[in-house]
Amino acid sequence: MDEKKGADRRSYRLTRRQFLAASSAAAAIAACGPAATPNPSGAATVAPTASPGPTLKIGQLLPFTKVYAELGNSMKRATELYLKQKGGSLANRPVNVVYADEANDPVVGAQMTQKFIDSDRVDLMMGIVATPIAYAVRNAIDAAKLIFIETNAGGNALTRTTTNCTPSCKSKYIFRTSFSSYQISYPIGEYFATQKGVKEVFTFVADYGFGNESAADFTSGFTKGGGKITGSLKAPLGSADFLPYVTQLKAQNTKDIYSFFSGTDAINYIKAWTQLGMAAAGYKMNGAGFLTEQDVLKEVKEQAIGATTSLFWAVTLDNAENKAFVDAYQKEYSLLPDVFAVQAWDGMQTVDLALQAVKGDTTNKDAFIAALENVKFKSPRGDFEFDKETHNPIQDMYIREVKVQSGQAVNTIVGKVARVTDPGK
Amino acid sequence: MTPETAVVQALNGISFGALLFILAAGLSLIFGMMDVVNLAHGAFYMLGAYITLTVVQRTGQFWLALVLAPLLIGALGLLMEPLLLRRLRGRHLDQVLLTIGVSLVIADLIGLTWGREIRSIPFPAGLDHAITILGGDYPVYRLFVIAFGGALAVLLAVVHRRTRVGALIRAGVQDAPMLAALGVDIDRLFAVTFAVGAALAGLAGVIAAPVFGIYPGMDVDYLIYSLVVVVVGGLGTLSGAVAGSALIGPADTFGKVLVPQFALALIFAIMALVLLLRPTGLLGRIRIAR
Repeated sequence: MDEKKGADRRSYRLTRRQFLAASSAAAAIAACGPAATPNPSGAATVAPTASPGPTLKIGQLLPFTKVYAELGNSMKRATELYLKQKGGSLANRPVNVVYADEANDPVVGAQMTQKFIDSDRVDLMMGIVATPIAYAVRNAIDAAKLIFIETNAGGNALTRTTTNCTPSCKSKYIFRTSFSSYQISYPIGEYFATQKGVKEVFTFVADYGFGNESAADFTSGFTKGGGKITGSLKAPLGSADFLPYVTQLKAQNTKDIYSFFSGTDAINYIKAWTQLGMAAAGYKMNGAGFLTEQDVLKEVKEQAIGATTSLFWAVTLDNAENKAFVDAYQKEYSLLPDVFAVQAWDGMQTVDLALQAVKGDTTNKDAFIAALENVKFKSPRGDFEFDKETHNPIQDMYIREVKVQSGQAVNTIVGKVARVTDPGK
Repeated sequence: MTPETAVVQALNGISFGALLFILAAGLSLIFGMMDVVNLAHGAFYMLGAYITLTVVQRTGQFWLALVLAPLLIGALGLLMEPLLLRRLRGRHLDQVLLTIGVSLVIADLIGLTWGREIRSIPFPAGLDHAITILGGDYPVYRLFVIAFGGALAVLLAVVHRRTRVGALIRAGVQDAPMLAALGVDIDRLFAVTFAVGAALAGLAGVIAAPVFGIYPGMDVDYLIYSLVVVVVGGLGTLSGAVAGSALIGPADTFGKVLVPQFALALIFAIMALVLLLRPTGLLGRIRIAR
């Protein structure tokens, strides 16, 4: 019997080892698979003017697989739309975009960044959706003196001076055209306390770097304005079942809830919220803008009505640049752009304007950096400029509420906090 | 936690456990019979959810999806076993690698066919409201999941214990080569087992679709849950899948509520503990090594 038991244990162990071996093989396959997709509209495009300058090679590190794949697709669409409008060249340099898949994995992200530096020898790099990946490649970019335009990841540390550069810190080579988590969390906290007259808030956020940062920034803005945080709850990223959490929210008495969730988590959270009849019981959903961004809203629709969030853009934003952008995007792809498209679009716009200022010459790094620092333009989100100190944008934050407009649930602007600058130095 | 909240949380936990049971039953069945850890199980589950999405969008009939998706995915399993797995019979590591390959292909084909956006479907008509339990609203769909999981467990148990197919499965789990020697067409039995296991994964995908959303990556998320369930409960037995999901569902729910910072780690801690104390799982039987 003992011998059989041993044999059984062995065969079982073998299965587990097989499982490990097999899953690492799978990870390796996933890592090599879709990387470096050549860009169909890139290399072959010839600038319309007489004597085009040397090709400008841009490395775009975006997620094309796993949970953030659609964000990557959206940012790629905006990039290609911008280039199409400019006839495939910026400042008289034909553009070749090399795409690589970040696969939501810092290790893969670091490998692809190294590939951009060593074998592709790109003139500049853009992209990166996930903050941990941005943090992971920061030092490599800084050491290689590679210009990098961050077009999504919002971790505060990427544009701040931090002790021992932990978990990350600003670099003169890194610019960000998206936001810092402070910008989407602190102003709405202060706004709630001072403008909306909310006295108490309960926080419920995704338990990872960015969610915790968002909760902390909201809390400091809200308490500075005189509000009180009555408690907090955290859910791991990618929680399958949100009903237990919403049950807990309902078991406490603070009616205003501040949340940070995005993507699938946001959808599951909002559905659980509806299922438990939270709105009827008087609870109010609030949060950082990603809670009700386009990808979530088109799935949950009316269930999100009344949710109040803050972001630097909304598809309904009323300005000429936004109308032109939304129209062009819709015409090209037959779908509404999301905030990720705007960030990538502004990234391209930033590069374009800076290149024009240096007449397409990227060899003088310091001159190019100075040109980037001085970029100023009208973005679909409103006035855009960089904080020269941190390379993070100075931008207006909009307070948005989900309302039904002509039969469609959309984010409508109900308030604004002007010219929000990240406090980083 | 007030008693009312505790009861509601227990319901949440049981309904999550019921879903995990539907998902894990197929994985356990296939492993028990064929000795293959089918890592494409998550992909079958995902395919079930996406088929539901299309059926609901086209016809609005959730119940049609509940029949159609398991049938289609079962048919896929019926093809996959003789065409792919059978060629590698006895080579366990190669078989596991093969199922990973299949899962990658399925996930990518899903991405190509349905896109990589996050999707969601409404609750089926009739189950989209809430009823009052202990003075609070509780979604009827969750109660349906509990009832469905319970009914499926009873059905599987009856098939397992009282029918000829069940007897063959039990015999196959004990000793497949001996069963073949007795004149049973083991090839056909394996193909059918694999198809039924795949169909159960698809069924879980249908049931989960309205609650947990439909998104790229859902295959891996739930594959891990189902692996934890079968490892804890005991690989290869129906009662093991019941025990595993009855433990992991509520443990996951109460873990999230009571020790939120360890929510994710809790079920893995349970798994580690079970592996240390009872390597065969709570109700796993000691098997004859081949």
